[in-house]
Amino acid sequence: MSILTTMADTLTPGRAADSLCELSADVRAAVLLDAAGSLAGASGDGSEHARVLGDLARQLFEEVDRATRDWDTEPPEQVEVQVAGGAVFASRTPRWTLAAVAKRGALSSLMLYDLKAVLGELEGGPPIRRSGPPADEGTPGPAPEEFTAEELPMPELGE
Amino acid sequence: MKEKRKGPISRAAGLAEGVASTMRRMQREREPRVLVYDPAGYARLVQPEARGQERIMEIAEQMVARAGERES
Repeated sequence: MSILTTMADTLTPGRAADSLCELSADVRAAVLLDAAGSLAGASGDGSEHARVLGDLARQLFEEVDRATRDWDTEPPEQVEVQVAGGAVFASRTPRWTLAAVAKRGALSSLMLYDLKAVLGELEGGPPIRRSGPPADEGTPGPAPEEFTAEELPMPELGE
Repeated sequence: MKEKRKGPISRAAGLAEGVASTMRRMQREREPRVLVYDPAGYARLVQPEARGQERIMEIAEQMVARAGERES
């Protein structure tokens, strides 16, 4: 079986939270806020839960800004909060704030990277490349280089 | 320079040390804490006694609880 990478469709604000959940299995819920702090998208169904999560995400960065106001550094771009039942990660750009609730034990570096990647795509950066099934299995054509990795000679494992 | 382990027992001990240190690191990473990252990616810890730290923890706990409610 070959692995095919496909270019994702253009990411919209409404899809950003779901996109993050697809990227990371450790994400339990995610919300996207616009520059005004209003809910612009949420993972799963757009319910009351999403609205409350959005409010909490907005408050989170407000409190972080308050806590770090006197610091001699630039305003924080990302936040990680580890609590008893899990972790919250959030990342922001001037236009968007993306916050995620993750499972306990989620790798911080990966979570922060994924948040940044989704926001980058939303800001018009290059789309994230995802692996997926072949677009058209019925028309076998010449395989690009990345598909033929399995045909490369395996290195000898020895002493 | 670290001395190279030679025998099978030494190698097993080395593996056990590695696992133990990984477990300790994972434990440390899960301790309640607030970290903020600047645009360059440098992390800074918001000290437990710092203004607002407690409130940030509360908000995060509420978010985790909400996510759990939605899943159940």
